[in-house]
Parts: sequence; structure tokens; C-alpha cells
Amino acid sequence: MSASSPNQNPNQLEQIVARQRQQQQRFKTGVNISYGVLLLALAFLFSGLEFNIGPIAITTISLDFVFIRERIGFIFGGVGLTIMLAILSISLACVLALLGALGRLSKFPPAYALSTFYISLIRGTPLLLQIIFFFLALPQLGIRLSGLTAGVLALGLNYGAYMTEIMRAGIQSVGIGQREAALAIGMTQSQIMRRIILPQAFRLVVPPIGNEFIAMLKDTSLISVTGFVWEILWRSQRVGRQSFRNLEALLMAALFYWIITIIFSAVQNRIEAYLGKGERNSGGMIH
Amino acid sequence: MNEIVQVGELDKYFGPLHVLKNLSLMVQKAEVICIIGRSGSGKSTFLRCINFLEQPDYGWIEVDGLRVPAQGSGRDYRTLIHNLRLKTGMVFQSFNLFPHKTALENVMEGPLTVKQMDKTAARQLGLFYLDKVGLVHKRDEYPSRLSGGQQQRVAIARALAMEPQVMLFDEPTSALDPELIGEVLGVMQKLVQEGMTMLTVTHEMGFAREFAHRIVYMDEGHFVEIGPPKQIFDAPQDERTQLFMNAFSRFERPGNGG
Repeated sequence: MSASSPNQNPNQLEQIVARQRQQQQRFKTGVNISYGVLLLALAFLFSGLEFNIGPIAITTISLDFVFIRERIGFIFGGVGLTIMLAILSISLACVLALLGALGRLSKFPPAYALSTFYISLIRGTPLLLQIIFFFLALPQLGIRLSGLTAGVLALGLNYGAYMTEIMRAGIQSVGIGQREAALAIGMTQSQIMRRIILPQAFRLVVPPIGNEFIAMLKDTSLISVTGFVWEILWRSQRVGRQSFRNLEALLMAALFYWIITIIFSAVQNRIEAYLGKGERNSGGMIH
Repeated sequence: MNEIVQVGELDKYFGPLHVLKNLSLMVQKAEVICIIGRSGSGKSTFLRCINFLEQPDYGWIEVDGLRVPAQGSGRDYRTLIHNLRLKTGMVFQSFNLFPHKTALENVMEGPLTVKQMDKTAARQLGLFYLDKVGLVHKRDEYPSRLSGGQQQRVAIARALAMEPQVMLFDEPTSALDPELIGEVLGVMQKLVQEGMTMLTVTHEMGFAREFAHRIVYMDEGHFVEIGPPKQIFDAPQDERTQLFMNAFSRFERPGNGG
């Protein structure tokens, strides 16, 4: 019997859909099982077990769980500060990135030059150097900054330079027709930027800025070099050195960063999904 | 003098390309001008020069007594262009509604930000013009939820809300599905009947024939022929106009054509 088109046979269509769904489901289950195996392997690696399989002696890493239990609270105490540092720095970076992007798009030569200079200088030097510079070099010029201020300034300046490109792309992706329509009803350049271009650009740059924020959460750890900011890495290094338990201490710090990242990535996915939906429902780009 | 729009000796280059060649045109108040021609003939560029979305290289534009030379610089010159734009309204082929604003907000945007009207007055004005294009019931919809024809009608309302002296239509129906063209032409017809001065770049020969007072046929940056629809459609004087019209009539009116 020749196969009839699935369009004409609802039963067959259902079967096809069911089969596709089954394949997707099977993949998801496989991934979850693999995660489980990986976690078990990790747990085994740090289980502290020692045994022989025939002639081979198996040794796993044994952790000092008493130390971990005692100190995990202290290290966890840095989570709030880490998140706060990232929020402060990303806020500064957003402002700088917007100014930088406007400069890069400006027809006013000094604005363009200043913005290009800023980006080049910041991207041409290491972030770690910038943080140390703000903390150690500026006092020589009579500018004394706390570790926290120096760190936030350096991180904000650094990320601002990188995010300039994101902002610029966001602004440029708003169609030329939008600007023309606004000009045609007599709006001024600044009105157009504020009321027409930026609101549309922001919607586009929120997801990439979310990515920057997630990267920044980890880069706040660089501020620990100033020695006076009690964020996660600084705390873990402190307790690690005190008790010669650097392995446990750094593993705890790593775990906290990882968990924070997973949580914020989930938030980021939500925001992205929401914005995507909003665009279809309420603001599809015309171009 | 009844001339509301005057264009004098207009020239425009895109790089080395000479796209508008010494164009002059006087438009009477309440006159409807349709500009037709092949794509690339410069008709859209000409229209866009009238409100300086394209800056001409030579000549001048005058709307409602305000004369703006093609070139200039400084704050005063920019103010001049700004004031010229306030006297003109423009409708685009691709609508260009603001996607992050509702239909009503789109129409209110000009009165609110440019004329600094207070919110209640701007809202009233917005509703008045949305009503004029028959879309009051869609006031709270975002553009993406409107059909192309509805979007274009909102765009017309947005331009009208600035109460311009002249309306510029740049191929207002070219991006529309055939079944949506009628509603936009309907709104334009209403404007004609209300005595709005209009310059329209269009391929809608039916509209041009019925409502235009004069038709401008453009080719390679020249005004080849300007005249009433009867002349342009039925007895074109210039050979190039004849060729263009022949090509068109074959499709437009197969009964009469060759």
C-alpha cells in the first residue's frame, strides 16, 4: 500500500509528532543521566576512598570536611558582596558604554576621538593591572581609594569599554526609517535618541549585557588582590592560608561562583525569553 | 499668491551620480500632485528633498512662505530645516511606525515632544486623527499587531497630527498586499476631498488618474512632462512618457491596450 500524505491522515500525523517528541524526550533523559554520572564521578573523586583493584591502588582526594563545615559560612558571607560589586560595576559600565557608543557614533570629532581613545587604552591593558593601578598607583598622586572603590571603578571602566560595542550595535540596529520618521515629524536629534532609538536599542542589548554581568560576577574576584574587600575569593584565600587548607577553601569558593552563575544564567534566560515574547507581541521591528 | 510649495532649480548628486537635474515646481494650495516614473528615476529622492531628509546640492525649497536654500550651515540653518519639516508631513513606503509605542502613542508623539502639548490635549488630538483614519478602536494596539494597511493609516494619522501644510507620500501603498491598498487610498482620497495639498510618489495609476490635479512624469532625474491626468494618460506629449504609459496600460487596462 502506498503511504498516504500525513496531511490527509490525522492518525499518521499524530504518530509522526509523537515520534519526534519521543526522540526529543530520549535526548533530554540521556543528558540528565549523563549529568548524574558526572556528578557521581566528581563525588567519587573527592570521596577520600582508597582501595585496590587487583594490583592497581586507587587513591581519591580526601577533603577535610571538618574544616569545610567550620569555614563554609565565612566564605558564603562573601556572596552578597560579590554580587553587589558586580551590580555596582555593571551599572558604571552601562553608563560608560552608552557614552562611549554615542561618542563612537558622533559626528563631533572630539567626542569620537575621546571615545575611541578610551576604548583603545582600556582594551590595550590588562584588567588586573587596571585594578592594581587604581589601588596602588593613584595614592602616589594623592588620590587614595578604598579597595572597593578602586575595584568597582576599574571593573566598570574596563567592562564599559568592551560593552561600548554592544551599545553601538544596539543603537545601529534600529532601522534608519525610525530616525527618518522622527525627523519628518520635527523631532530633534536628542529627542530622537532619547524617545525613539534608545528605547528600542535597550531591548536589544539587555541579553548581551546580561552575559557581561555574568562574566563580571567572576571577575570581581580580581578585586581580592587589593586585600581589603571581603568578597568570596578573598575570604577563601584567607581561611585557606590560615589553616593550610587551600584546596578545600578554593573549592568552596569555586562552588559558590558556579552556583551564583547558574542562578543568574537562569534569570538571564527568563529575561531573554520575556523580551523575545514582548518583541513579537508588542514591538516587532519593522525593518 | 496661492503657491504653497515651491521648488527651485533643485540639483542632487549621490557621489558622482547626478540624480536630480535642475528641477522646479510650483504647487498650489489644495493641489494634488502625483509623481510617477520608473524606479531609479529620482522621484523618491525628489520628494525626500522637500523636507530635507535628503539634502539637495543646489537650489531651494519653499513651503508656506519659508524658503530654505539647498546648502547652509550653523544653528540658524538647522532651525530653518526644522521649521520646514514642521510644515510638511511625510508618509513612508515602509510605514516606519515606532514599534515600542501604541497606535495612539505614535500619533501623540509629535504633538507631545515637538509641540510640547500637554498630555490631555495631545491625546485628544491623537484620537481625533486616529478617528479620521478609522482606527480609534485600535488605539492601544502596538504596530506589530496591526495589518500593513492599518499601520500605514496610523502613519498617516501621525503625520496629520502635526497639522502640516502639505503631505508628502512616498509610495504609500507599495509595501502593501493588494487587498490592503484600498483602505489606504480611501484615507488619501478623504484628504484630497478635504483640500489637503499633497505630493505623492505612486504606482497607483488609478488613484493618480482620478485624484491628481497634475501628474509629474520623471525620468533620469528630469521632469519630463507635467500635466493634467488627461494629458499624461491619454495624450502624452513626450516620447518617453508615451513609452512608459504604453508599458503601463498593457497591464492596467488590457481591454484598451495593445
